[in-house]
Amino acid sequence: MSALLLLPRNAVIAVLRLYRVAVSPLYGDVCRYHPSCSRYALEAVQQSGVVVGTAQAAWRVLRCNPWSRGGVDDPPARLRSSYRITTHGFVRPAEQPGG
Amino acid sequence: MADLFSLVLWPFKWVIEAILVGFHSLWTAIGFDGNDGLTWILSILGLVIVVRSALIPLFVRQIKSQRKMLELAPQLKKIQEKYKGKRDQFSREAMSRETMELYRHNGTSPFSSCLPLVAQMPIFFSLFQVLETAQRDPSKGGVGLLTPALSGSFGRSDLFGASLHATISNNGGDALVTVIGIGMVALMTITQFITQLQIMSKNVSAETMASPMYRQQKMLLYVLPLVFIFSGIAFPLGVMFYWVFSNLWTMGQQFIVIRNSPTPGSEAAKAREIRLAKKAERQRERSGAPLEAPEVGVVVPKVNNQRTQPVGKARSKRTGERRA
Repeated sequence: MSALLLLPRNAVIAVLRLYRVAVSPLYGDVCRYHPSCSRYALEAVQQSGVVVGTAQAAWRVLRCNPWSRGGVDDPPARLRSSYRITTHGFVRPAEQPGG
Repeated sequence: MADLFSLVLWPFKWVIEAILVGFHSLWTAIGFDGNDGLTWILSILGLVIVVRSALIPLFVRQIKSQRKMLELAPQLKKIQEKYKGKRDQFSREAMSRETMELYRHNGTSPFSSCLPLVAQMPIFFSLFQVLETAQRDPSKGGVGLLTPALSGSFGRSDLFGASLHATISNNGGDALVTVIGIGMVALMTITQFITQLQIMSKNVSAETMASPMYRQQKMLLYVLPLVFIFSGIAFPLGVMFYWVFSNLWTMGQQFIVIRNSPTPGSEAAKAREIRLAKKAERQRERSGAPLEAPEVGVVVPKVNNQRTQPVGKARSKRTGERRA
């Protein structure tokens, strides 16, 4: 059930991962923040889901311009305790003990 | 029908048409044939000059922050020393975090964000659409100053008989379009390649060169031309001209930046120091000043007679890890 609920989130994560592999490197390092905007987007969606995560990422991209100060800026950690992030960056429900 | 995409592009298209038409009337006024492809290509060149000039303030900002970076060099070096030889992911991560924090603290950054790059995208799409309208439906004209007559002229114009709106994949069997198109793709690829190569081979510090990210980017340096070849096949010649001119501009700009304000610690920075030293030497010779040591007071080496206090391993480690 919760795996189904996580489907949109994981779909977006897949797209972002593909973007980071195929498109991001074409730019090189340009971001004024750490982590870079695309990694911020990935982490935000992992932590908060598609709706909130995308909104946070959009706001970050707007903030990242030649006039911003930049610096270290992580997305807020909001991952539910019942979710885990796999080594590939996807989000899955945690195994319930004994179930 | 006005979908969101064309609604967003509308103002861009209007401005692009105004610039194109402006340059077109300038060239015709000084005697160029208004229906000639060359005139339209020169108008595209004018567009590139206007667009890239508008982006110069961003670029100047970049140079200024590069200058400021020189002041940060000692602090940057400190961070680099701290993580010297540490190649694991966590050290790398911690290092870039500290570096970014240093930039933020000093209100400067070697990175310009992706805006200068992204800002050119709507222009590119708009030019594509303007060309397409001129080709498909010239009687409709543009959204602003590009009248149906001008639009038709643009759409019909050609260079040595190769239509500007034609693409390599769709040229109605005109071999000339393919030849010019391939030439353009080659030019596009070469300029992009040189620009990337001069950044990567000269303007990165030794630390960056050792990072896995850099190796990945280096690989892309060779993949990128392939991308151009495939995408170039679908672009009309007119759009390709924009791209080539723009790339040439970037190349020149990059050359000036790397020469005059290179990244501290990079090969280009060393080359600049040597150049400056040679220049100072030449000036000294010309002025005929005798070779003499710069006047300095007698330097008495400070001798520290005090015994250095032993520091416990744990304590020295703690101070070493203190955040900047």
